[in-house]
Amino acid sequence: MFSSLSTGARRRLGLAAGAGVVATAALLSGCGAGSSAGPSASAKDSVSYAWPVSQTPNWILPLGTKGHTSTINASIINALWTPMFVYNTSGGSMGLDKQASMAKDATFSADGKTVTVTMNKTSWSDGTPVTSRDVEFWYNLVKNNKDQWANTAAGKMPDSITAFKAVDDSTFSMTFDAAYNHEWLTSTQLALIRVMPAHAWNKTSDDGAVSDLDRTPEGAKAVFAYLVKAAEDMGSYSTNPLWKTTNGPYQLASFDASGKVVLAKSDKYNGADPASIKTVNLLPFTSASAEENALRSKTLDYGYISAASMPQKSQFEGKGYTVTPKPGWSVTYMPYNFNNPTMGKVFSQLYARQAIQKSIDQESISKVVWNDTAQPGYGPVPQGNDSEYLSKDQKDNPYPFSTADAQKLLTSHGWTIGSDGIASCTSPGTGATDCGDGIAKDTKFEMTVLSQSGSTETDNMMNEIRSSLSKTGISFKVQPAPVNSVLAQSQACQSTDEACKWQLSFFGTSGSWYFSAYPTGEKIFGSTGKANFGQYSNAEVDKLTDAAVKSDDTSAMQNYSSLLAKDLPVVWMPNPVYQVAVTATGLKGTGPDVDLIYPQRWTW
Amino acid sequence: MSHTALQPTATIENDLPAPVSNRALMIRRLLRNKLAVAGIAVVLFAFVFSFLGPLLYPTDQMHVDLGSAGLAPGDGHPLGTDAVGFDQLGRMMVGGQVSLVIGLAAGILATMIGSVWGSVAGYAGGWIDAVMMRIVDSGIAIPALFILLVISAITSPNSLTMIVVIAALSWLVPSRLVRAETLSLKQRDYVLTLRGIGGSHWRVVGRHIVPNTVSTLVVNATFQVADAILLVAYVSYLGMGVQAPSTDWGGMLSAGLNAAYSGQWWLILPPGIAIILVVCAFNAIGDGLRDMFDVKGQQ
Repeated sequence: MFSSLSTGARRRLGLAAGAGVVATAALLSGCGAGSSAGPSASAKDSVSYAWPVSQTPNWILPLGTKGHTSTINASIINALWTPMFVYNTSGGSMGLDKQASMAKDATFSADGKTVTVTMNKTSWSDGTPVTSRDVEFWYNLVKNNKDQWANTAAGKMPDSITAFKAVDDSTFSMTFDAAYNHEWLTSTQLALIRVMPAHAWNKTSDDGAVSDLDRTPEGAKAVFAYLVKAAEDMGSYSTNPLWKTTNGPYQLASFDASGKVVLAKSDKYNGADPASIKTVNLLPFTSASAEENALRSKTLDYGYISAASMPQKSQFEGKGYTVTPKPGWSVTYMPYNFNNPTMGKVFSQLYARQAIQKSIDQESISKVVWNDTAQPGYGPVPQGNDSEYLSKDQKDNPYPFSTADAQKLLTSHGWTIGSDGIASCTSPGTGATDCGDGIAKDTKFEMTVLSQSGSTETDNMMNEIRSSLSKTGISFKVQPAPVNSVLAQSQACQSTDEACKWQLSFFGTSGSWYFSAYPTGEKIFGSTGKANFGQYSNAEVDKLTDAAVKSDDTSAMQNYSSLLAKDLPVVWMPNPVYQVAVTATGLKGTGPDVDLIYPQRWTW
Repeated sequence: MSHTALQPTATIENDLPAPVSNRALMIRRLLRNKLAVAGIAVVLFAFVFSFLGPLLYPTDQMHVDLGSAGLAPGDGHPLGTDAVGFDQLGRMMVGGQVSLVIGLAAGILATMIGSVWGSVAGYAGGWIDAVMMRIVDSGIAIPALFILLVISAITSPNSLTMIVVIAALSWLVPSRLVRAETLSLKQRDYVLTLRGIGGSHWRVVGRHIVPNTVSTLVVNATFQVADAILLVAYVSYLGMGVQAPSTDWGGMLSAGLNAAYSGQWWLILPPGIAIILVVCAFNAIGDGLRDMFDVKGQQ
């Protein structure tokens, strides 16, 4: 048939036909159910786990510096060095996991400013006891290197600590500059405390003598610099003696530059949370399809699928897996850039934000696009469970979906729908029926979102939102980009800056913001918040946030929840699960794993 | 008498084969190539389907309908619906418009750029030729798909940018072909004569060299169109093609791939088959055209 064709043409036909064969083969392979044998039926002393797509660990020191704070780094570090306070969902909802924590107890003074922490009696892998001196070592390094410590925040730790005292070998106290809500303080501040082996790390060179160097600012800086330099050498992670002195349930067996990490059960661990699995293989993947194919070929014990793959749940179950959506303690949103020179003034009008919010059909998006794995979110408090912090306003959705009502909001505020279906401001001014301050005549309601690429669900969600907004009279363009690019571009800016072109951004395919147990949003909605990308500023919100941080009364959080649900600092979006976990049937103890993993809990 | 005298001459003339023009011979040769004819039919059908189809089968391809998402082929939706409720048959038509327009425009533009570049390089010769062809060599050394992905990542792709970018990456091969032809043509007597009587360089290139490379260009253009359609499909398949509500067959294939594991064949087979058929058709037409132009050479 192809005899009359040139070589080039035959090659092209071959390629095209090949593509067709591959596509058909892929289709047919999807139809097969596979056998029911589990992925690791014969290997019960190891687990192969998939890192999230395109993520690889790059840090080992339990002191995070800029660019080294990813959750997968934290997962490894927590397995090697037990954190002081661990919060996760092991108890069914977000709360303190005492078994995984170094701290045995924390008591607050009568004035609420001083907390005294008693630690469990454990020892380092070389037999030396873990003492409050190891906490002091951490504190001295953080205090004297706060410009480099990634968790430093204005008015928070380490500045908010006015005194540290080692009460005895296993007890220490910290005094703060004010009385704070206990749960907020414990989950967001005390949870940052680590124990670090002063007897092995308090030096400035590999062969240097260990001494109390950290007790002077110069010494603390030198020790910090030495440890950071050692941590930057990823190739030596599994061989450097520094990283052999641990107190966690695992030790590092190997660390590959590609991101493959092998953890080996620590025989020296004597804490309350010992490991069961001898070897944990943590594997990197460059694409979601590669990871799903690894599951299909049963080379993974513990991975994940996208929400779009939920209709294939029975196929994975047929291959010996259990499929479990894992919601995170998070909220998902699109920040407005209130300083954008074109649309900033429009976004500043509450009626405009209400019109946009009323054009988001969260229920349908959660059900159809996210295959029922996402939860509609109407405010700043995670809405997945009936949290005591949730206000009635947020729970009841103050702005239900209605493009007709949304359009009325625009037309009653000086906007007219043009022949192209897009609203234009025809009544500029500051009156009740005008467009609002700073909005010029003939301004068109056109906005562009920088959206995280690489997710079918996000693409489809943006398509739905574009469609709904067009019914309202708002033009919505989607500009996809890798998530790192979206985050890099979505920075706080002045309207005259070149970098202020972004109008809306979306980086929430797995949730936009994860909270510790106490879900205050001072970092994302506070006027000076580090992650308040769109520079939303509302003095009343700042006041309520401060009250929520300092008061033990849950009504403070509810007031905060209510105001932000109504004031719309961002576009509230459906909150997707962190991931849809796929675990080999028989692998137990994966419940607490959401953004962080706890391999010591895994058992066959 | 005169009538009788003319009779034998008329008989002799009737016995001779009627004179056949080059053009007729070439068309006859093309029509004898069944694969090329089938290719023409497929391409014609693709254009009619994509551009006239929406008039006969109108669908809303602007607004999603989540209530109708993922429907199997049946009443009201002969090819089912996609993940956000777009009618898949209507989507095929809209996607076909983008794929065909980008492919055709990019292929033709690439051929035009390549022909100018190649003829100037070949005719000028010397260091100009060397510099121009080293640029071509350098361009060919860089994978087009890589550059396309980089450009797609930093810009917001639409049909126009895709045409320009694909053309800007595809003109290299035709420029080489045209240069080779030009090197031969510029030594021909009629070119040398024209130069001898004072004809300008531009006149030589524009009126005598480029027109004589038409057969090479036309054949190559069909391959360029096929390659451009494939490139569009590759880029869209990797999620960096035109943005919703616009789509193309590659983007549809990409969007439907995951659903294929769920048995939703209608999301992947129609666009996949359409790409294969149209690309094969353009290649078959190109092959037929090459055979057709060979007639002239044989004569």
